[in-house]
Amino acid sequence: MSYLEIKELQKRYTSSGPLIVNDMNLLINKGEFIVFLGPSGCGKTTTIRMISGLEEVTGGDIMIEGQSILDKKPKDRGVSMIFQSYAIWPHMTVFDNIAYPLKLQKVSKEETKKRVEAAAAATDIQGLLKRYPAQMSGGQRQRVAVSRAIVVEPKIFLMDEPLSNLDAKLRVSMRTELKNIHNKLGATSIFVTHDQAEAMSLADRIVIMYKGKIEQIGTPMEVYQDSATRFVAEFIGTPPTNFFMTTIERDGGGLRAMNEFFRYQVPKSLVSALTPYLGQKVEMGVRPEFISISPEMARTEGYLADVEIHFVEPQGSHSILILDMGGNEIKIHTSRYMDIQAGTKISINVKEERVMFFDCDTGVRVK
Amino acid sequence: MMDRLSIVQKTVVSIFLAGMMLLVVVPLLFFSTVAFSNATEMSEFPKNLFPFFNVTVLVEAADDGQYEIFYDSGEGYESIITTGKADKLEKHFRRQYSVTVSGEQLLEDFARTQTEGPQEFTYKKDVFYNFKQFFNIVPNAASALKNSIIVSLLTILISLSIGSLAGYAMARFSFKGKSQFNVAMLIVRMFPVVGISIPMAVMLIKMGLYDTLLGLALLYSVPNIALTAWITNSIFIGINQELEEASMVFGAGRFQTFMRVTLPLAFPALAASSMYSFLTAWNDTISALILTNENQTLALVVYKAIGTTSSGIQYAAAGSIVLILPALVFTFIIRKYIGQMWGGVEL
Repeated sequence: MSYLEIKELQKRYTSSGPLIVNDMNLLINKGEFIVFLGPSGCGKTTTIRMISGLEEVTGGDIMIEGQSILDKKPKDRGVSMIFQSYAIWPHMTVFDNIAYPLKLQKVSKEETKKRVEAAAAATDIQGLLKRYPAQMSGGQRQRVAVSRAIVVEPKIFLMDEPLSNLDAKLRVSMRTELKNIHNKLGATSIFVTHDQAEAMSLADRIVIMYKGKIEQIGTPMEVYQDSATRFVAEFIGTPPTNFFMTTIERDGGGLRAMNEFFRYQVPKSLVSALTPYLGQKVEMGVRPEFISISPEMARTEGYLADVEIHFVEPQGSHSILILDMGGNEIKIHTSRYMDIQAGTKISINVKEERVMFFDCDTGVRVK
Repeated sequence: MMDRLSIVQKTVVSIFLAGMMLLVVVPLLFFSTVAFSNATEMSEFPKNLFPFFNVTVLVEAADDGQYEIFYDSGEGYESIITTGKADKLEKHFRRQYSVTVSGEQLLEDFARTQTEGPQEFTYKKDVFYNFKQFFNIVPNAASALKNSIIVSLLTILISLSIGSLAGYAMARFSFKGKSQFNVAMLIVRMFPVVGISIPMAVMLIKMGLYDTLLGLALLYSVPNIALTAWITNSIFIGINQELEEASMVFGAGRFQTFMRVTLPLAFPALAASSMYSFLTAWNDTISALILTNENQTLALVVYKAIGTTSSGIQYAAAGSIVLILPALVFTFIIRKYIGQMWGGVEL
């Protein structure tokens, strides 16, 4: 039995308004670190607010350990939350902030003190307990928020973009720390973010949402290497996947995807899946690191076309080459030819048949 | 970082500030001096800027055991009264000099002049004579003070409880006609209280609340509910909603959240609003004039005292001091919260 179950969950803000969350189904196991990832407005924050009880549910059910929690007030759901603004109460000291939930539970004074100190130690803020939030930096406030969340020993941790108000460097180090705390406590966590790097580095499984629907649920490797939809292929990865509009045509015994710039021999593993699309348009996607380059006119396996390099963006460990194919910007990730110059003419090839095809209407991967 | 001023700029600024100080301080000082002056000092010219606390008279023995009292009101001693009766002396000293010494005592003191010649005698003024006199002359002053306190507290209670709820609703919920509601409240605030006194009087008479403290408090609350709603609305908007949500997730119900999180954070706004409500209720005379008969407030009583006497100005001034003090005390208590509110404290 799964720990948290979300069943056909729906949310509308007004009775005639659009579905912000549209028939969401999700099973979460105990101790998992789940990340909800998606662009703003995709319903990810609304979903965890419904789990926490801050938002009413329009349809469907949410169950923890097999029991529906919809009738319970936020305080009785056994969840704790880290908010985007930290939501540290400015009129209380750090100690009182962390002790607040324990005071309401009428935990004895000695035990409260013990637990608050333990929680503060976990986030390394033992020295700040007597301070007020106004006297602390953003990173320290964030730690107070984390301490307060862990002091209640919740069934589920909910984190609503907790790192988005920190500066870039602090964000990365807090990220590691959050993961550390999660591993130590083994708590079930749901983390909301729109930052894919954060999602990839933290998650056991990523739930990618778009317009209120789940696009894909999978490990970071799965969603990257084996994207289920065009949206996922585009959203995950920097730079994003390159897309080419192609038409499927018969080519001897096999198929080829072609457009005005290239004709690409469809890998054998995809032939049967693509056969129904004969004569129709499909979108072909190749990730930037799966496009290799070779000197012009050198026809190698997976050859696509000859193109001129527009820009080079050196990144140190690798370079991003930007090409232009009839107004379509193509980005290539290369660590071999890092000092190549703009203006050079090259041939581009698909590496190791690492190509994805997507249905033009539904955006679903064809495989 | 403050700019440094040159010596010329400093001088100009100092003169300007000193001028402002004089404009504010001199009338206040003069006013309180009047409140502590005795009847004789009232007729002196030029007036003293600071009150004296002693009275000096010259006494010369006259025939038949009588004494002639001389008083110096700036141009040398002048003969004021000649008498040998204890009760007459006592009355004279009390009324003219605010000196409360018994007539027998005075006669005993003056007896020396019969053998030693004319002498000066100095007596301590009864500092609070005017205040006592005010409460004596105006028979309902004490009950008016009580009325004023009650009406002010009622006004604070009514405007805060209704106004802050309205402010909270406007800050947290969206509803149809919200902006119209907002403007409507501003318009209510624009009416002079006098303007609504007459219709209010009619309504209050119908409700049986005419000449009651509650009726008066209701009238004062009308503009202050709107003002409180405006002030608290902006504060509630400034309080991040996540602070309340966090409280609910971490174990509090709605009411507990309001008491433990929202209210403490909104306290400066409530304090400021309560000050406005208090001042409206405490300082008003005209509405009280229209709406009360028996149950007058202190401001009205003082107003009447000033308006109807020509000789007892110092008693009215003493009454005014009684009127000002509570307002001063209240404002000073509230001051630090108002500073917090407009000092840009991040919530």
